[in-house]
Amino acid sequence: MLEKVELENLSKGNIVAYGEIYRGELNTSSLEILSPLKEIGKTLNKKLVLVCLIDSLKDIKNLEEIRKSLADEVWFVINEELKDFREDLYAEVLVKIIESSQPYGFFFPATKIGMSLAPRIAGALNIGLCAHVNSLEVKDNQIVMARPTYGENIIAKLISKSTPVMATISLGAFSIKYGIEEPLMKEIVFPKDFVWKSKLKIRNFTPFKKKPTKLSTAKVIVAGGRGLKNKENFQKLFELAEILGAEVGATRPVCYEGWVEEERMIGISGVIVRPKVYIGFGISGALQHTVGMENSEYIIAINTDKEAPLVKMANLALIGDAEKILDLLLKKLSK
Amino acid sequence: MEKIIVCIKGVPKPGTIKVDPETHTLKRESLELILNPNDRAALEMAGRLKNTYNTEVIVISMGPPNVVPLLKHAYALSADQMILLSDKAFAGSDTLATSYVLAKAIKKLSPFSLVLMGLKSIDGETAQVPPETASLLGIPSLTNVKNLFMENNKWIAIREIDYGEEEVEVEPPLVVSISPTAFDYIRPPSLKKLIEVKSKEPLVWQAKDLDLDPQKLGLQGSPTQVVEVSEKKMEAKGIILEGNPEELAEKLLEIFKEKGLIRL
Amino acid sequence: MIKYSLSEEQKILVDLVTQIGEEYIKPYALKWDEEEVFDEKPIRALADADLFGIIIPKEYGGLGWGSFEMCLAVEKLSYYCAGVTTTYAAAFLGSYPIILFGNEEQKKKYLPEIARGKKVCAFALTEPQAGSDAFAIKTIAKKEGDFYILNGMKHFITNGGIADIYIVVAMTDPAKGARGASAFIVEKNDPGFSVGKKEKKLGLRASVTTELFFNDCKIPKDRLLGKEGMGFIVALRTLDFGRCGVGAQALGIAQAAMEISLKHANSRIQFGQPIYNFQAVSHTFAEMAIKLEAARALVYNATKYIDSGAKDITGISSIVKCFTSDVAMWITERAIQMMGGFGYMRDYPVQKYFRDAKCLQIYEGTNEIQRNIIARELIKYYK
Repeated sequence: MLEKVELENLSKGNIVAYGEIYRGELNTSSLEILSPLKEIGKTLNKKLVLVCLIDSLKDIKNLEEIRKSLADEVWFVINEELKDFREDLYAEVLVKIIESSQPYGFFFPATKIGMSLAPRIAGALNIGLCAHVNSLEVKDNQIVMARPTYGENIIAKLISKSTPVMATISLGAFSIKYGIEEPLMKEIVFPKDFVWKSKLKIRNFTPFKKKPTKLSTAKVIVAGGRGLKNKENFQKLFELAEILGAEVGATRPVCYEGWVEEERMIGISGVIVRPKVYIGFGISGALQHTVGMENSEYIIAINTDKEAPLVKMANLALIGDAEKILDLLLKKLSK
Repeated sequence: MEKIIVCIKGVPKPGTIKVDPETHTLKRESLELILNPNDRAALEMAGRLKNTYNTEVIVISMGPPNVVPLLKHAYALSADQMILLSDKAFAGSDTLATSYVLAKAIKKLSPFSLVLMGLKSIDGETAQVPPETASLLGIPSLTNVKNLFMENNKWIAIREIDYGEEEVEVEPPLVVSISPTAFDYIRPPSLKKLIEVKSKEPLVWQAKDLDLDPQKLGLQGSPTQVVEVSEKKMEAKGIILEGNPEELAEKLLEIFKEKGLIRL
Repeated sequence: MIKYSLSEEQKILVDLVTQIGEEYIKPYALKWDEEEVFDEKPIRALADADLFGIIIPKEYGGLGWGSFEMCLAVEKLSYYCAGVTTTYAAAFLGSYPIILFGNEEQKKKYLPEIARGKKVCAFALTEPQAGSDAFAIKTIAKKEGDFYILNGMKHFITNGGIADIYIVVAMTDPAKGARGASAFIVEKNDPGFSVGKKEKKLGLRASVTTELFFNDCKIPKDRLLGKEGMGFIVALRTLDFGRCGVGAQALGIAQAAMEISLKHANSRIQFGQPIYNFQAVSHTFAEMAIKLEAARALVYNATKYIDSGAKDITGISSIVKCFTSDVAMWITERAIQMMGGFGYMRDYPVQKYFRDAKCLQIYEGTNEIQRNIIARELIKYYK
């Protein structure tokens, strides 16, 4: 049984995070963002609250994850009209929560839902919203957010002059950490005159057929690009991956060429990875790709082009033919 | 069907970006601007809807005068009318200030059935303007839309979220941002319209034409501010080794051992 | 090296074709050639861009331009892929007869849709026993009441299977020989019309070349173009016009080949210097430049003459086709040589230019036939 709190009695000045629950499952990126936010909360001496909009508590499949999370409190809003994600209604609910509890900061994971929802709230409240933030810190009692602007190699640090400070946080930018104490779970009671209506009607949902690869959590990744020349060479990466206990990743063009399935695409339209070791064979390092792997701890690039972006960002770059080196490597390792 | 409005943006040609050292915002006036690549999908959607439903398409853009060639290009793609929203007061706008101006302009063009935008621009990459503008207009928004058509006077949209695709039904008016992967084929501009638009100029609306609160414009109206920019220098940060494949393969083995990926 | 001054509208045309080449063709041309696959996307793009309507009169929805503009477009497009350009240019061979010989109903029926790129055309004259000897065609068109019944076959027809409209030359009166042929508009869904096998070609592999079969193919009599007996007049006038297009196609291919091999020669270091420094190499490029400029001047000079309304264009168009295709063949062969081993590898496009160029010496009348035509026309001036 959840403790019920009236909307107007919510505690004020917290750091709040949006807990994205879709069809009963919490998206783990909502847990990722709690890591930096917990630190922010500690520094500013503010509570960390996770807000979830659902139609029924018993339908949540991974409630355990919420119990283990870093949140100090979890606020649920429960209403059958919240069953489907409908951004106009969701935004109105969150606006009411923000108006009432005046959080210091309100943050979303940069999922497609988060990116659709957060701007509506910012518009409704006339406040600032920063996008794809991948680093947050407190400076002079202010939250400073950093984000790369992918068009060019520029990192911008931003602040928001309005409150709450709002941002969407890059997926995969932070790793999930677990809390020591179970958060207090509450249900927000909305006033009777709140209109639970949306102009949207969800007629159908078709889930993606692909199963997630273990790419996003892999500790070692061997990735291949056009420099491997053809599909047969690319497939040899699987042999290497087997020996190293690694996962195989790819760039966008080779996925589209059909050398490997699209689920292995690393980059802006694929998976964001943060392995300990990343080895790129014949990858030049177009921005769409590097954005997906730049947080790797140790980057090795094998390329014939000294000026290739991946070569420049690598910890170790070997200037040579990826195909030949891969072959030699496999030969040596099989001994 | 009431008119369709497409919002496009001029973005710096990759490689030409300059940041104003004082305001930390992009200097757009001096730049060579290109049509934001994602906006082409929005213009394609407009073109297809126009073919099917015979609606009027108006293309608008907020930017400095060097955005005019892009409006003309959009005209040649699928628009019937061009409007430029330009005023010095708009300079330095963040997404809120931009959405504010766009919303006012769109409101002035009412009634409309649809506002189309690209998913995000390649310079700011926030993807915020479409839902933010919709919120200011008080109408629904859908992002990452891959398909859109009318059924019984309602919009049916296929939109993508992280879990799959949803089919959404909503009455017009609606703001939609189109997924860049929505179309397998995107049309080029029409030669006839490119020639026609040479002698046409867009309608220009300044701040005074739009009943705007000056506090909500430009840097002043932008709650988010850049406080520092640093260039991610693409200087080689690690070791670069050259040699024959044999030597390089040996080096890799060494590193694998060092990192504990293989045992001796 | 000469810069040709173009009007504003001509510049818009060239820029648009360049944009289409860069976006819809360049990234895929080598792949299409390697896989011998026809992709409809660049054709759709050309259609959406109004480029099929360049020579169609304004009153039927086209731009009402002439040979000059057509060649500007064809040259630029050929730079990106001669195969795609063949599909594009062959469509003019199908629309031109309607423009020249169609009656008002036919023009109104077909030209607007062609201009909008909604219908693609083809031109069908050649048969297995009638290539250079075009008069030896055997396909018969027999008048039966309000219809013509066609029987026979055509082969080596560009755009076979992808065209909606075919201009077919068939014998209505075999006894009259060359004066016994007529030109007809056959539509792809006409009963008794079918498309045969797709040929496997040396070059121009992105374009489609097929056989066409007429088995009691029944078409309404209003599909006759012009009058009975005018078949070869329609064909020859059309080919006269098309030859400049081949000239422009040769320019595009030669330009691409020269550029790529020249850039290579300038950066390929052997014996401590770029190979361009060696006279054997630089002189070869000088020769390429000489021939290319001459060819280009010839093409556009001829188009100006044609566009001025001149009637005696047969000789000059043959000269254009013959000279420029030979130049393209020479330049592409030398381009491979200048690139050495790399020129021989299919990872590089220069071998594609060479294979593409070869067809230009053969189709739309072999260069041997062209020389026959030139000699015959020549004597008319010096009786």
